[in-house]
Amino acid sequence: MRLRGSGQQVPAERLAAFRVVLGVFVSSYLVLRSPVFFELGSRSADRFEPIGVFRLIDRPLVGWVNSAMVISGIALAVAAAAGWRFKVVGPLFAIVLLVLSSHRSSWGQLLHFEHLMVLHAFVVGLSPAADAWSLDARRRSRAGRTVDADAGGDRYGFPLLVASVVVVTTYVIAGIAKLRYGGTGWVAGDTLRNHVAYSASRLELLGGWASPAAALVIDAGWLLVPMAAVSVLIELVAPVALLGGRWRNGWVIAAWLMHAGIYALMLVGFPSPLFLVAFAPLFALERWWRRLVVARADLPFGRWSVRRGPADRA
Amino acid sequence: MASDRRWHGLILAVVVGLLVLPVVLDSDGLPLSTYPMYARQRQAEVDFVTAQGVDADGDVVPLGLDVIGASDDPLIVAGELRADVRAGRAEERCVEIWQRVSDSGAASRTGVVQIVTVQIVTERHDVIEHTADRPSLRGRTVHAECEAAT
Repeated sequence: MRLRGSGQQVPAERLAAFRVVLGVFVSSYLVLRSPVFFELGSRSADRFEPIGVFRLIDRPLVGWVNSAMVISGIALAVAAAAGWRFKVVGPLFAIVLLVLSSHRSSWGQLLHFEHLMVLHAFVVGLSPAADAWSLDARRRSRAGRTVDADAGGDRYGFPLLVASVVVVTTYVIAGIAKLRYGGTGWVAGDTLRNHVAYSASRLELLGGWASPAAALVIDAGWLLVPMAAVSVLIELVAPVALLGGRWRNGWVIAAWLMHAGIYALMLVGFPSPLFLVAFAPLFALERWWRRLVVARADLPFGRWSVRRGPADRA
Repeated sequence: MASDRRWHGLILAVVVGLLVLPVVLDSDGLPLSTYPMYARQRQAEVDFVTAQGVDADGDVVPLGLDVIGASDDPLIVAGELRADVRAGRAEERCVEIWQRVSDSGAASRTGVVQIVTVQIVTERHDVIEHTADRPSLRGRTVHAECEAAT
């Protein structure tokens, strides 16, 4: 049995595709959530409860610095997606995203929606993800320089393997947490039912609107016991996704359905998995892109690639 | 090539080690976490800290997230309110919310209602009953109350 991606050569375009997907997703996310991020700059420092990197400085970002960070975050995510000056932009993108996420979680409630996104930004930002399908690659190509995809061994596959291991490990940890903190009661008792009802009640008591599906499921409470067991099982068996093929596909579908169910019942959305970005490193994205578009030679990314190696042609 | 594999193995081990470290230390954070969301046992009866309007008849009027916390994120609003009550800043928060109520023309979640008082409260609810739209209130503590004169 062999882990997908270990010991086999992966084309530069696969890692590049993940960079593009992640960069586009993060830039869209930051733009859409920018009112929340900007608003943090006007909050009272009295309410600041530092998380992550902010434990080091123990104070919130002042208004203009916060605004500059949000704007920089969006610009860096766009630059990372485009693969522009990536050796500098890649790590900066990850660092600024970490700062923004930590700042957002430092007001009395640690949010867990952005962890995976930040971790993936570090993996991509520190990898040679702009060797293809990037402005950097186009610049090199115009200057007559190319990156040899065969030269670096597992140069492009390894970052994707790390990103995949990060995904499955976080799911396993989430599964362990339910058994550790909730015990067997989480799987066999009323805990999930109470969590669904708690989320709905909290939203309503804070002046929001709860999911209509919550009331339906609470009425049919017996449904939630098998749902709890299946959720924990999906999290604990996440490493099967590393085997690739049907194991990976089956697990990704199950994990996505779990997140869709959480959103439908609790209106709690984990954007990265819901939009499949979290699972992107598990797939050969460049093949989908080629099948969809790049077969048309007039498209720009077709010209911005590294030299093909034998594994890529296979 | 063999050297690459050793390095890769080492890096993977370090990455997994870092990810698992918060579990070993039982310390949640960002970007490394124990991912404890919805993991703890939860009973049906729960205390909620919230802010509510009260109209001239003494009826409770729900306020919107933007009025309570100047945010559309319920987790941030809930976290801040809890922190304020814990830190003894309920009065201060009450005045802020009253200001937003005034600015919004006393708009509540359900429309325009004449709100005369804002209260910061902890309410104990049976969440199953609440979600099923049945009577659920089990207890209520008022931490702060403010009105136009404050």
